[in-house]
Amino acid sequence: MLKVCDLVAAYGPIVALHGVSLEVPEGSIVTVLGANGAGKSTTLRAVSGLLRPKSGSIEFEGQPIDRLSAEQIVSLGMSHIPEGRQLFSELTVLENLRLGAYSRFAGADGGRRPADRQDLSALGRLQRYLFQAATGGIRDLARTIREYRQRRQDFEAALRRVFDYFPILAERKSQIAGTLSGGEQQMLAMGRGLMARPRLLLLDEPSMGLAPMVTREIFQIIETVNRTQGVTILLVEQNANLALEIAHYGYVLETGRIALADTSENLRKSEAVQRSYLGQ
Amino acid sequence: MAEFWQQVVTGIATGSVYGLLALAMVLIYRSTSVINFAQGEMAMFTTFVAWSVLQWGEYWVMFPLVLLMAAGFGAFIERVIIRPVEGAPILNIIIVTLGMFAILNNVATWRWGGIPKGFPAPPEIEVTGVKFMGEGALDIGPTVVSYHDLTILVFAVAIMIGLYLFFQYTPTGLAMRATAQNPIASRLMGIRVGRMLTVGWALSATVGAVAGLLIAPLILLQPPMMMGVLLYAFAAAVLGGLDSPVGAVVGGLIIGISENLVGTYTPKEWLGPDMKLTVTLLIIVVVLLIRPTGLFGRRALRRV
Repeated sequence: MLKVCDLVAAYGPIVALHGVSLEVPEGSIVTVLGANGAGKSTTLRAVSGLLRPKSGSIEFEGQPIDRLSAEQIVSLGMSHIPEGRQLFSELTVLENLRLGAYSRFAGADGGRRPADRQDLSALGRLQRYLFQAATGGIRDLARTIREYRQRRQDFEAALRRVFDYFPILAERKSQIAGTLSGGEQQMLAMGRGLMARPRLLLLDEPSMGLAPMVTREIFQIIETVNRTQGVTILLVEQNANLALEIAHYGYVLETGRIALADTSENLRKSEAVQRSYLGQ
Repeated sequence: MAEFWQQVVTGIATGSVYGLLALAMVLIYRSTSVINFAQGEMAMFTTFVAWSVLQWGEYWVMFPLVLLMAAGFGAFIERVIIRPVEGAPILNIIIVTLGMFAILNNVATWRWGGIPKGFPAPPEIEVTGVKFMGEGALDIGPTVVSYHDLTILVFAVAIMIGLYLFFQYTPTGLAMRATAQNPIASRLMGIRVGRMLTVGWALSATVGAVAGLLIAPLILLQPPMMMGVLLYAFAAAVLGGLDSPVGAVVGGLIIGISENLVGTYTPKEWLGPDMKLTVTLLIIVVVLLIRPTGLFGRRALRRV
């Protein structure tokens, strides 16, 4: 589903990734482990389009995305839940969730995928443009109304599903996001990401700053989302123990390079991983 | 007592105009942390354009036309002038807005001349026998309100309600609020941040244009006409809290009313009408000493 090849990324003159390659098969949970500053978050930022890679290729469902912007990538079906959650802390819980669905429901051409336009020749585009201009108004209006209804239902279905996973968010619907507890904020960040109905979810340190109990709960939900909805997950985590428990496959990142790659079972048994990341 | 109410009502009307222009500034400040010092000149410029349009057209044809042009003008300024300095230190962007101030002022003088012109108030419209706007005044018991003051008030209230609904209930409005708070997270939601800023400038220029069209009949149309208004509007925005639209409006009303009352009721020997600006600004300084974020603001002010 996601294929990263020889990815090099830098912040100005400081190179953070020296040729990272990894693969995330559809339906799996893949985790990226590593110490602080190993380049875990940078990898996610490059994949989701927040950071433009220096070189290398990124393919999402067979389509190259390394030259697309973050805004375009999210509408392809990939949600990035960033480090430190990055909520809209002065907006309410519901408004945060509405924004999560923005890429699907709000854009004037939300239904039309960019691919739609690419597959037409220049002449075809012109024809279509003229046709649309000619038949324009009324048809567009009818479609807008029809789409609006459909989007509304879609939105409500997505919202119900998020509230099923995180009932506490339904209770706190009109509370300001910044006043939620740490665990609730992480749930909101995940809920907001899921509102876009992604097929691939990039999760950056969901356990950050949370109590062990809460972390466990969050990880259970991650596993449920993957199992019941078939959402593929790329998980970056410091808590290697927990991550390897739910992941199928893992990569270990060291100073911008992949040091190890194996199934999570083998990784857990590997001495190097036990010593450095599992604290045994 | 009649005179007191008279002053209050007039204050509410001019205060609404200050509030509108302050609102225009707040719209830009919230999303970019830039104080647009050219806001008043932009409004002056669109009012001059309106004057030119009025030479061959009806008022109510000109009105929507000029608002559309103002929106385009605002969007153009953001795209062409502000976008290239985006990300530069705030001070640079402020200098750019000051430059626009000078340019717009000079272009207006060059094109339309410095001689003050009269500008018409919105003319009367008749809806099923009831007349709105136009000449005359309305008797509301303790005092009379001129139709133009009433018009200003109606427009101001309509714009505020409209903006509130827009920001609260439409996806674009919500996206604009999100962009103001957290541009990076907004990008991850699929919001095109640049486009939201353009829309913000367009909206702001439109609101400013309405303020210009409404204040021009009260003061004469001339290139420096918005200087005083801008000063009051800026004070209103600061008083209300630079990031709060409600604050801008309330600030505008407070300043409009207190300006009028100070002009009328303080002794002429040592304060009086000449000192009303000073006294008003003094009130603001006191408020800001007590509440540095303004009455409704949340973010602390930045020194510029």
